[in-house]
Amino acid sequence: MAAPSSTETETAGPRRVVLGVQEALDLDAPDLPSEPMPLNMGPSHPAMHGTVRMVLEVEGEKITTADVQIGYLHRCFEKESEHATWTQIFPYTDRLNYVSPMLNNVGYAMAVEKLLGIDRRIPERAQFIRVLIGEISRITDHMTCLGAGAMELGAFTPFLYLLKAREWLYELLEELSGARLTHSYVRIGGLTHDLTDDFVPRLRDIINRMRGVLVDCDKLLTRNRIFRDRMDGIGIISKEDAMAWGLTGPVGRSTGLAYDVRKDHPYLVYDRFDFDVPVGSVGDNFDRYAVRLEEIQQSMRILEQAMDKLPAGPFTLDDPRIALPPKSETYNSIEAMIAHFKIIMDGIHVPAGEVYSFTEGGNGELGFYIVSDGTGRPWKCRVRPPCVPAVAILGKVLPGLFIADIVPTFGMMNMIGGECDR
Amino acid sequence: MSVGVPPPVPSSPFSPAVQPPSSAAALSTETVTVTIDGRVHQVPKGMNLLEACNQAGCNVPYFCYHPGLTSPAVCRQCLVDVKGSPKPVPSCYTPVTDKMEVTTNSPKVLDVRRQMLEFTLLNHPIDCPICDKAGECTLQKLYFDWDAKLARNDGIKVRKDKVVDVGKNVVLDQERCILCTRCIRVCNEVARSPDLTFVNRGDHEILTTAPGRRLDNPYALNTVDVCPVGALTSKDFRFSMRVWELYTTPSVCTGCATGCNTEIHSSRGRVHRLVPRQNLDVNAFWMCDEGRFTYKELHQGRAVAPRAAGSPADWDSALDDAARRLRSALDAGPQRAGIALSAACTNEDLHAAACLAFDHLGIERVYLTGRPAGWHDDILVSADKNPNTAGARAIAGPKLKSAADLAADIKSGTLGALLAVGDVFDLPADVPLGRVDALVALASHMTAMAEAAHVLLPLSAWAEVDGTITNRQGRVQRLRPAIPPPGDSLPGWEILSHLARKFGAAMELDSARAVFAEAKAKHAFMKDADWGRAHLPVQLRFASSRG
Repeated sequence: MAAPSSTETETAGPRRVVLGVQEALDLDAPDLPSEPMPLNMGPSHPAMHGTVRMVLEVEGEKITTADVQIGYLHRCFEKESEHATWTQIFPYTDRLNYVSPMLNNVGYAMAVEKLLGIDRRIPERAQFIRVLIGEISRITDHMTCLGAGAMELGAFTPFLYLLKAREWLYELLEELSGARLTHSYVRIGGLTHDLTDDFVPRLRDIINRMRGVLVDCDKLLTRNRIFRDRMDGIGIISKEDAMAWGLTGPVGRSTGLAYDVRKDHPYLVYDRFDFDVPVGSVGDNFDRYAVRLEEIQQSMRILEQAMDKLPAGPFTLDDPRIALPPKSETYNSIEAMIAHFKIIMDGIHVPAGEVYSFTEGGNGELGFYIVSDGTGRPWKCRVRPPCVPAVAILGKVLPGLFIADIVPTFGMMNMIGGECDR
Repeated sequence: MSVGVPPPVPSSPFSPAVQPPSSAAALSTETVTVTIDGRVHQVPKGMNLLEACNQAGCNVPYFCYHPGLTSPAVCRQCLVDVKGSPKPVPSCYTPVTDKMEVTTNSPKVLDVRRQMLEFTLLNHPIDCPICDKAGECTLQKLYFDWDAKLARNDGIKVRKDKVVDVGKNVVLDQERCILCTRCIRVCNEVARSPDLTFVNRGDHEILTTAPGRRLDNPYALNTVDVCPVGALTSKDFRFSMRVWELYTTPSVCTGCATGCNTEIHSSRGRVHRLVPRQNLDVNAFWMCDEGRFTYKELHQGRAVAPRAAGSPADWDSALDDAARRLRSALDAGPQRAGIALSAACTNEDLHAAACLAFDHLGIERVYLTGRPAGWHDDILVSADKNPNTAGARAIAGPKLKSAADLAADIKSGTLGALLAVGDVFDLPADVPLGRVDALVALASHMTAMAEAAHVLLPLSAWAEVDGTITNRQGRVQRLRPAIPPPGDSLPGWEILSHLARKFGAAMELDSARAVFAEAKAKHAFMKDADWGRAHLPVQLRFASSRG
């Protein structure tokens, strides 16, 4: 995925590739005298995903400094969690990265399970289903990022195509969980309920149709001159910077840093699947686009393997101290009634201690650092949101670029306010 | 909890009955060596084995054992392995002996414990959603901690009577009863009134009142506290509130001079019940039914806004009016002015009142008022129905006159001005309060005195303030605010310091704690008292697992 060879201008700052129309414009425009001007972008701006404010200093069209300010979508996730039982936190996690809620559900559940010491006892079927819903969420996450990114550069058609395909997946998850976006489908110890009967055939059908959509989008974007002009060589991040700033996920991998939690620290049943981790070579916006596009293909590979290997069995742990007993038991036996009551009212009793558990979220390493004091609610529930480092590095990446470059650069970082600001 | 015991301590008013059977006093000072779960412990000789295990941190569960009662060893939850014994022994019924080797968590013990729970649950109704005890139920807790297996039996449960009106304050659900006998022992050993018994055998065994009796003894609601399930419920509390929603605040009962330690259980600005809190030196684990109902007065007939000359006023003008009336009366003749101190007030309020009246205004007539005396017994209830008579007597000094004197002085017209601090319930109805030229009342309730007062200054009550009260033993015990005060009412010390400012007297009182410190420095009976730690209200669902 190296940048295409073309003429390069000698400009200070990051390497900038100039092609065709742009080159002509540059030649026509004489260097007009300019003085520094502060420019405020956001917090509400049509080209910003979510509310974020950028205080820029520009000379003409060129950015000299960029101060990216986050926090406009702060919802006190961590503080609220201290006042909810362990199970009541699932709806809050839905609202972290709200374009891939299942991944947050799974990440949180695995952290609590690790603290409970039951992480090796989760039924195999539940683990496979967690992989299925997680990879579906990863695809919806990437589709949203790519579609919106293209739309902001004027390519409306791929946006509609990708969101059409995303909607197929949302409808599938809605059929499964009852909610289009705020699924709260995962539970500590397993899942709320089993897959619906037609889940697997429907998913196979959706994957087949998605392949066509992805081919269309690939044709519309990847060799599109206008698109490439805006993406190639813009917002370059070096591998060293990626490591120093803690970049993970597609943004980190676009720099060539081949770190994927699913490969490097396999969890659930990821070690049983054959899939590749795509990496970029330049670390520019186009690499971030290309990595995401390829990751969708890899996720579909995982989905197909997981559907093939999906075992039968229970969907949740058989322990009335942790998982709610079936409703028929709850209404008809005092044992299950008490277990249900205690889990709902007092919360699961998680032993005192602390744990850090991390999974591959849509934007990279999604970590939960949880401290329990032995009661039915967390003493502390901290999230490591993967898009915070990606937003943080914008202050370094943006200076030297033009104002118009902010749109694709910010878009490809894929800041999700719900996750970034918590 | 704050505790200050002044010398000389009055002779203990308590019968041995409220003392727990194996309280520290009853144990010998000799120690024996016992091995519990492989670790060696030194415990007093003759100590109950269950207490020894739990003191060693081994967490032996129980239904029928209660630290304040004798042990019948009927529930079989506390069975442990003792080396040399062919079968597990009930630890609550076994005294510790030297060189005893005990295992509390062997597979056999855990299995027996689980089987006993399964057996207990066999006929237990599926009532948690409608049961008042749910959330603080011992059966729920022990099932969750020690059994946690789903039912193996789906047979028909034995049906019994679900609503038995056993007494004035208590309702019995015989299906929920697990036959632990705690309530029977509370009646026999604490209330000394054998009102309850079992009849029939096997799974037809039921709890019922003894022939010709009802559960109407003054300590009947303690049976509800000790009931490990929801078999006995309080008529007053049942179906009014789910327990896990309640917030708990440690406090002291203000129903009489005994000062039983309590927990106030409140939610959204309302107190829902009072329950006893353990204090072996005062009330052990118990309190009387009358004391539990004192919370009702918090929400009835309260004085909520200042009044001056019969019409509502803001604080500033009411205080101005109060100061003007008292000042003109004092100018006319200081010997005709008096102050009435209610023995229901906190030490802090009384100290502030004494400072204002004696040091700044030069008032010499001081009366002790409050609630009239009532019935008593030799268990917990005192004839003195005021919570702070000891503190009021010590703070007011030797010149203290009685409520009868106050009535006589008003009738004869010798009292021209009166500052009444706290509620006055013990004046006869025919006292012509109109004869007092200047009547200023600090009152939390609309008593006759508050109605007749020229200026009424609304007072916050005991569940709304920080402060201390002194019980009949001379113990200084702490009150904490559980709910916000109604309307514009303020704590007494705060009203009195505002009033002092109107007289140009500077009393630098800025918190209850500061007044406490000042009073402690001044009065010998408070010298050992301690303000205690801060306490944030805890919701019962998170106040560790109850039951």
